[in-house]
Amino acid sequence: MTALIGLKIVEIAERVAGEYASKLLADFGAEVIKIERPGGAPTRVMGPFVRGESTLFKYLHTNKKSVVLDLEQATDRAVLDRLLAKADALIDDHAPIWAEAHGLNREQVAARHAHLVHCAITPFGQEAPAEWQIARPLNVMNAGGWGYHTPSETPADKPPLKGAGRFMSDYEAGLEAALCVAASLWRKRQTGKGQFIDISEIAVQLSRADCVLGRILAGEADAGPERARYDMGGPGATFACKDGHVFLVMTTRAHWTGLCQLMGNPDWTTAFPADWLEFHCTADRVAEFRAGFTGWIVTQEKDAVAEAAQKLGVALVQVNTAADLPDNPQYRHRGYFQTLEGVAHPTVPYRMSASPVRLASPAPVLGADQEEVA
Amino acid sequence: MPLPERGGPLAGVRVLEITKVWAGPYAGKLLAFLGAEVIKVESKSNLDEMRAYGGVDIDSAPYFLSINQEVQSVQVNMKSEEGMALLRDMIAKSDIVIDNLRPGAMERLGLSYEDVKAIRPDIIQVSIKMYGTDGPLGYQTGYAPCFAALGGLSYLVGHEGETPRGMNIRYGDSTVGASAAFAAIAALHHRARTGEGQFIDVSAVETLSSMVGDSLFAHAMTNVAPQADGNAHPEMAPHGCYPCAGGEWLSIAVASEEEWQALCGVLGAEALVDDARFANLAARLTNRPDLDAALAGLTAARDTTELAEALRATGVPAFKSMSSLDLVSDDFLWASGAYRMVTDARGGTRPVIGPGWRMSPDEAAIERGAPLLGEHNDYVYRELLGLSSDQLDDLIARAIVD
Repeated sequence: MTALIGLKIVEIAERVAGEYASKLLADFGAEVIKIERPGGAPTRVMGPFVRGESTLFKYLHTNKKSVVLDLEQATDRAVLDRLLAKADALIDDHAPIWAEAHGLNREQVAARHAHLVHCAITPFGQEAPAEWQIARPLNVMNAGGWGYHTPSETPADKPPLKGAGRFMSDYEAGLEAALCVAASLWRKRQTGKGQFIDISEIAVQLSRADCVLGRILAGEADAGPERARYDMGGPGATFACKDGHVFLVMTTRAHWTGLCQLMGNPDWTTAFPADWLEFHCTADRVAEFRAGFTGWIVTQEKDAVAEAAQKLGVALVQVNTAADLPDNPQYRHRGYFQTLEGVAHPTVPYRMSASPVRLASPAPVLGADQEEVA
Repeated sequence: MPLPERGGPLAGVRVLEITKVWAGPYAGKLLAFLGAEVIKVESKSNLDEMRAYGGVDIDSAPYFLSINQEVQSVQVNMKSEEGMALLRDMIAKSDIVIDNLRPGAMERLGLSYEDVKAIRPDIIQVSIKMYGTDGPLGYQTGYAPCFAALGGLSYLVGHEGETPRGMNIRYGDSTVGASAAFAAIAALHHRARTGEGQFIDVSAVETLSSMVGDSLFAHAMTNVAPQADGNAHPEMAPHGCYPCAGGEWLSIAVASEEEWQALCGVLGAEALVDDARFANLAARLTNRPDLDAALAGLTAARDTTELAEALRATGVPAFKSMSSLDLVSDDFLWASGAYRMVTDARGGTRPVIGPGWRMSPDEAAIERGAPLLGEHNDYVYRELLGLSSDQLDDLIARAIVD
């Protein structure tokens, strides 16, 4: 029996942010009814496709039900109200102007369904100007600061980057939304009362920068136009090895001693003071280190060198690809991938002893659960 | 003295935090920002290193002050048996215990799940480790960029044709903390329904895999491993960051022909609309290097803010790539509660980063800065555990409370 069983959630979201939020709740056993427009959700037509099906949609809608409603039509809109009357939470990620036009803004929902936890995810929050309400993940990653500072050590003439994949900011915002909805549903258990939750994708990005941006905000570190303002300094970076890439982080004397031992104490390391990482970590020395290390690490295989490094207390790890993870012994041990219809689905990073996440059903076909509103 | 009422959805939930550095404390902060009473267990003999970075005063360390708002601090010496007995008494009064100590450390303290369950049968214990608590690689440790590298996220970030470099090196810890906080609240629901507590074993590495979940799933379905792709997007073009005057950058993401035509109009480049290389999405994707070069030529001399406003006014999503200076001086972010002001026990005020949400009604108050070491000893030992002030003085004198 998983954690959110017995809770009923209606999803009118049509972007990855809201769809991911309710996936996190559905995978904990909440009954999530996805409302799809006639013809299907926009994410059904986003690739990559396998046998005509969107892998994106399939990933985001495990354990959910699908009901088709045309919210432009009064009769279908009334059906939605009937669903909301019986639901615990509503998850949306449309712009406020859309919500208002469909009788689904904060005040309209609260007036009819005071019991509902109503979560709306938007790029800048409900109070933002109308013309800011369409921002795609690339825009959010940049407006929130991570783009400008990614990757570390980017020269001024290289563009900021969007992050990994297409939807990183949506996953961050979706996680924040799931967190808040779960908390507000806890409150509802105690009080019977609903609540409005206004998620700002940008505010989530800032929150994740936490003490890095927080020290700048407080004036303890300098604000500025430099791309390196979030960087840590030091030799940490990706390096090419024999069969892929590794990432090395090194900040202490113990790390340096361990790494020298790992490399067999080559001559070039004797030019470095033992405490250089803590007290003498100049740009020149970092460059000199990287030159020496690059020549050695390129002869090493990633799994073997990472394992040997761990045993010496050195944070040198594999840069894994999507192809590496299903066979990773730790992922197998923890069951991170669960097989459904013969396909390995990535699941969740928390193993729960009493209420584990379980993928019970694959993403629904369009309108699979229309009898819910019959 | 009882703590002030702060409101919020998790009012009445008590969390004990045995955490250090960033991911664990961030989880505690999120729960505190949602209204939980979060008590951080600390000691001089085993200090959170964030209290030591950036100065000599452990009560004014910049990193610590930036992370630990709205949490309480209680001192207890976990190297003494008497201190551990007091800690067990605190666990008995808590709903959730969170730790992010090194693998095996909780067990060595006598705080394995079996141990804490014996203290309080319905306890929810959340343990955050790089790779999780057990398993063949559970002994391994690392820092946030290691989580991102191992989790398959870093490989997907980099300028096209270059070594994948990953997100900025500071990315990762906070996301892990958010996952842990969410799982903890899910467990509260399970407990409410069944009376049962549980052990939650969080993997930092897997958390970052989940930030690229659709990419991992697409690989499972197609057997094609995704690669670092700069700012490319298979369903949008143009899609990237374009240079503007003064070394600034503007992010532009075009998802339809209408947006493409509007972009060309604002840039005064109607000829691009008729250019066969850019006639439709498929053509623009095929000719992406030419497209990006043509646009960069048109944006390079423009003022970022003016161009962004002009584009948004015509329905094209265009937003400045914000530097740290842009972020901390942004009026909207200040006005909307993305930043807050908190006050600490010494009366000092400090701007901090607020949570990603606003709630109404009943949003939890966010007013108090990070605690002084032991600021809440009186509350914990006297109010919660019912000791007398003489008993507390004695514990302090004998460095059990240190």
